[in-house]
Amino acid sequence: MISWLLAGIADFRAAIDKRNVWLALAIEDIGDQHRHTYLGPLWLLINYLAFTGTFVIIFGRSFPIPNFAIYVAVGLFVWLYISEVITLSISLFAREEGFIKGTTLPLAVYVMRLTMQSLIRAGYAASGCVVIVLFAGNPIEAVWLWSLVALLLIFAVTPAAITLLAVAGAYFPDLQFVVANVMRVGMFLTPIFWIGDNSGGMRQAIYQWNPFTYFLEIVRAPVYAGAIPLDAYAVALPICIVTWIAALMSLGFSRHRLVFVL
Amino acid sequence: MVSIDVDNLGLVYGVRRKLTLKRNRLPSAAGPGGRIGGSGRNRYVTALDGVSFSLKAGDRLGLVGSNGAGKTTLLKVLYGIYRPTSGSISINGRVDALFNVSLGFRREATGRRNILLRGLINGRSRREMEARMEEIIAFSELGDFIDMPMSAYSQGMAARLAFSVATTLEPEILLMDEWIGAGDARFQQKARERMNELTATAGIVVLASHNEQLISRVCNKILALEGGSVSYFGSKNSYFDTK
Repeated sequence: MISWLLAGIADFRAAIDKRNVWLALAIEDIGDQHRHTYLGPLWLLINYLAFTGTFVIIFGRSFPIPNFAIYVAVGLFVWLYISEVITLSISLFAREEGFIKGTTLPLAVYVMRLTMQSLIRAGYAASGCVVIVLFAGNPIEAVWLWSLVALLLIFAVTPAAITLLAVAGAYFPDLQFVVANVMRVGMFLTPIFWIGDNSGGMRQAIYQWNPFTYFLEIVRAPVYAGAIPLDAYAVALPICIVTWIAALMSLGFSRHRLVFVL
Repeated sequence: MVSIDVDNLGLVYGVRRKLTLKRNRLPSAAGPGGRIGGSGRNRYVTALDGVSFSLKAGDRLGLVGSNGAGKTTLLKVLYGIYRPTSGSISINGRVDALFNVSLGFRREATGRRNILLRGLINGRSRREMEARMEEIIAFSELGDFIDMPMSAYSQGMAARLAFSVATTLEPEILLMDEWIGAGDARFQQKARERMNELTATAGIVVLASHNEQLISRVCNKILALEGGSVSYFGSKNSYFDTK
């Protein structure tokens, strides 16, 4: 088990040495996804704004949440990032089969390629999110910096989540359909446009037992409520640590085996 | 000193039934070829078994054998894609490999971008690749196609590009899987000349092919594989004399 962990760490270290490869590939990916379009990656921003606008207009009157636009804008930004990363991770190694079978690049190079690609894509949505938050009316406070800390935490755990899901998806291809469905349903089971209460009912249970809740809250609470959600960090941080350990072990286990599975 | 020493090399991998909800009676065929052994859940493939040989600077080894004999598998073990399960490999020299065109290239990217990416993958700097770009493009003779996506290339054009990148980067050991067979006769001649230059400057070429004429023209040593085991290793002349 320790040897898997060390092998996983070695793979990531080798990938860091090859950062010019995954940076170049990630930039290629963004360009390819918007080739032949007039607006290019700006579509990422437009999609985010359209999505957020629709939510705010349709659900704005149904949910008695103050600063609903900020609540939705930040929540949706985090959710869309998490959802996209998870959905793309499952089939990552299958998509990279040509490189895995034709080069000796560390597997973590592909993980970092997707991480980088996701961060670039998130950057476009983030610009829209920042504009909504700034213009929604809340006065800017120093506590907002905690949202940046939370985002850094989410970005830091992204390679681990990608690794874990990509390895699982390589060994269990059906997972991509399971995950696609879970993420579809997850959008409604995660407090993006609704708020948890203390009624003790189903809604409260979903709020508490959904791990994504805590990742949304650590980003959203400082901006939305001017608070540092320590209770959410108490759940999110251990999840990040466990995810990294599991990811490194799974990568160490599979780094020389995966090529026979694809 | 450039060299390859392979001692009693073996590669065995388990035949895994994919964890899928679909009824899956056949074992996964994703791995390399070889002999299938065992039964039920404990099926395994012996892709390479007891393979030993040594090559020194200037050698041009022809890998021959029927489909599934282990030629490509051996190349991939030498390149480091597959890790052997037994035996040892000692390689001195910078290795590059040319496999199928679908492996290790980005089909959506232009030829020019692929040259850069391939260089970065092989550990070259962006500056170095940009400095050698025109030389690579000139050797490939792809002209304006160099700025077209590689998906628009014919097999021969893709082969030209891959061969040009790999050989211009001056690998000390070049592993090739049927590649020189692609491209027209004139480019094949050009490629042979470049391979001769490579071996003349103390390199090693390993070429897997079914084309015995090609092997005969290019190589000075032959390694014949049958079911993952070596049936012949020695000089080209005695191999073809005994046939």
